[in-house]
Amino acid sequence: MDIFLQLTFSGIALGMIYAVIAFGYQLTFATSGTLNFGQGEALMLGALVGLSLAGGVMGGPYINYWLMIPLVMLFGALQGVVVERIGVRPSIKTKNEFGWIMSTIALAIIFKNVAENIWGKDDLTFPSPVSSTPFQIFGANVQIMQVIVVLGALAMMLAVELFNRKSIYGKAVVATANDSDAAGLMGINTGQVVTFSYALSSATAAFAGVLVAPLTLTGATMGTALGLKAFAVAIIGGLTSGVGAIVGGLILGIAETLTGYYISTGYKEVPGLLLLLLVLAIKPSGLFGKTTIKKV
Amino acid sequence: MKIKSAGLVAAISALMAVSAWAADPIKVGVSGPFTGGSAPMGVSMRDGVKLAVSEINAKGGVMGRQIVIVERDDEAKNERGVQIAQELINKEKVVATLGFANTGVSLASQRFYQEAKIPVMNNVATGSLVTKQFVAPEFADNYIFRNAAHDTIQSAMIVDEAIVRRKFTKVAILADSTNYGQLGREDLEKALDKKGIKAVAVEKFNVKDVDMTAQLLKAKQAGAEALLTYAIGPELAQIANGMEKLSWKVPMIGSWTLSMGNFIDNAGKNGNGATMPQTFIQEGNTPKRKAFIDAYVKAYNPANGRIPSPVSAAQGYDSVYLLAAAIKQAGTTDGPKVREALESLKEKVDGVVAVYDKPFSKDDHEAIKMGMPVMGQVLEGRVVTVK
Repeated sequence: MDIFLQLTFSGIALGMIYAVIAFGYQLTFATSGTLNFGQGEALMLGALVGLSLAGGVMGGPYINYWLMIPLVMLFGALQGVVVERIGVRPSIKTKNEFGWIMSTIALAIIFKNVAENIWGKDDLTFPSPVSSTPFQIFGANVQIMQVIVVLGALAMMLAVELFNRKSIYGKAVVATANDSDAAGLMGINTGQVVTFSYALSSATAAFAGVLVAPLTLTGATMGTALGLKAFAVAIIGGLTSGVGAIVGGLILGIAETLTGYYISTGYKEVPGLLLLLLVLAIKPSGLFGKTTIKKV
Repeated sequence: MKIKSAGLVAAISALMAVSAWAADPIKVGVSGPFTGGSAPMGVSMRDGVKLAVSEINAKGGVMGRQIVIVERDDEAKNERGVQIAQELINKEKVVATLGFANTGVSLASQRFYQEAKIPVMNNVATGSLVTKQFVAPEFADNYIFRNAAHDTIQSAMIVDEAIVRRKFTKVAILADSTNYGQLGREDLEKALDKKGIKAVAVEKFNVKDVDMTAQLLKAKQAGAEALLTYAIGPELAQIANGMEKLSWKVPMIGSWTLSMGNFIDNAGKNGNGATMPQTFIQEGNTPKRKAFIDAYVKAYNPANGRIPSPVSAAQGYDSVYLLAAAIKQAGTTDGPKVREALESLKEKVDGVVAVYDKPFSKDDHEAIKMGMPVMGQVLEGRVVTVK
C-alpha cells in the first residue's frame, strides 16, 4: 500500500506539471484555434530566466525565489506576445490554416538554440527554495516542493478561471472563445484578446518552469519532452476543458509511475500514449472536450 | 594598386609555401563530446590533449615536426561521430585520432579509421567491445587502441567493492538505456555471476528522465543494500536526489562516471559517498601528477580549481604521449607503421596515470590493466582516494 501511495504521489506531482503546460495550450486554442508548439520552450526559458535571477549562474542570486516568480511570469508574457506577433498573427490574418504550426515550431527551435548559446547545453541545478528533506503522509514520502508544484498549478488555473468569469477583460476572452466573429461585431478587439491569450499561456508555462525546476534539472533541452507529453495531456483531456487538463495530466503522470513500477521502467510511457490513441479513436474531442461541429 | 596587391598575394603565398614546407605539421584528430551531458569528459579530455601537445611542441615536436590537433565536437551522437570520422580522414587527412568519450560513438565511428588504416586511441570510452570490434581472424590488423579502464575491469572492481570489501549480498543495478549503460549492465551481471550473486533488481531509465521513483522503489522493495550504477552525470544525480525524495539512502557504487562534475554538482550533498574506479584522482600524489594538475588548472582555470573530469584529462594527456612515442619509433606517420610501433613500444612512456611499459601487443590493445585503477569516493564536492 505504501508503495502504491508513493507512486501515486509522484505521479500526481508529475501529472500536475503536465496539466499546467496543457492548460497553456488550451488558453490559446480557445481564443484563436491555434496552439503554440513552443510551450515546452516557454517553460524552459522561464526556468532559465528564473535561475539567472534567483540562482548563481549569472553572478546572482539577485532576488529570492518567491519575488522572482512574478518577474519570470512577466518575461513569459512578453515572450508569448513575441510568439503571437511573429508566428501566429500573420497566419490568422491570411486565414492560413497550417502556417502557425510550422512557425511556432520554428520559433521553439530558435528559442532553444538561443538558450543553448546563453546558458550552455549543460544541465544546471536549480537551488530549492524550501528544504528538500521529505515528510511522510500515510507512510509515503513527499517533498515540500512537490506539494508546492501541485498547489501552485491549481492556484494558477483557478486564477485564470476566476479572471475569465468575473472581470470584464476575462469576459472578452470568453466571448472571443465562444464566437470570435460575433465578439468582433460587439466591439471586442479580438486581435488583442488573442495576443493576450498567448501572453497568458506563455506566462503559465514560465511559471510551471520555475515550479518544476527545483525538482528536476534545468537546461535548454528540458522543455521538449515535457511540451510533447503535455500536448498528449491536452488531447486526452480535451482542448477546451480546464478540468480535462488536470484529469488528463493526472492520468498520464500516474500511469507513468505505476507502469514503471508494476510492469517495466522500459515501458513507462506506453500506457499513457495508448490511452491517447484510444481517446482519439473513440472521443476525438477529448474526455472532457466539447464536440465541435465544423461548418464548411 | 593592383600590381601592389598582386605582389602582396604572391608574397603571402610564397610565405605560406615556405612555412608549410618548414613545419609540415603532424595532424592529429580529436573527436569528443564538448557539449551536453558528456561534456565534462570531452572538454577535460581535449584540454589534457592540448596540454600534452603544447609540451611536446615546446620541446621541438616529434621528428622535428609540430603536432597540430583538429578538434571536433561529436555531441555524444553516433551519427555526428561518423560524419566527423569521414571529415577527419578524407578532408583533414589526420595521422591518427584521439578521443571518443561515448562507447556508442566510438563503435559507430571506428570502422572508417580501420578501413583507412589510421590508428585510433580511445582515451575515455570504456565499453568492453571498443577494442574488440576488428580482431583476428576476420581482420588481419586492429587499428583500435585504448588507454582508458574498460568496463570489464571496472565492473569487476565495482562488484569487488560491493561484495567482497563491503560484504553486501543484495545489490540492485541501475543503468541508462544507451549503449554505454546496457553494455555496462551486462558486464556487471557477468561480474556478479562470478561471485555467485544475482542482482535483486535490474532497472533502466532514459537519458533526460526526471523521475526515478519507480526504479528506486523497485530496488528498495527488493531489499537492495547498494545500487550499482552505469549511466552519465545528470541522470546519476537524479538517482542520488531521487533517493532523498524517498528518504532512503544506500551506497551508490558505479562506473567511473560518478566522478563527473555534473554528477557531483547536481547531486550536492546526496552525492557524498558515491564510490567508483578511477585511473586518476586530482590529488597530486606524485611530482609528475602534481605538475600536470597545476599546469591544467593554470591553463584552463576550471571552476573552483576542480578539473571537470580528472580521469578524462589525464587519459587525454597520456594518449598524446603514447601516440608521439609510437610515431617517433616508427619514424613515419604512415598508419600501418605507427600501429606496429604501438604494438611494440620500446620506450617506456611516463604518463600521469601510469608508466606504460610495453602497453600494447598484437593481441592486447588495452593500456590500462587490472590493478592500475584505484577506488575513488565523492566527498564534499571532490573525488578523493578511498583509504
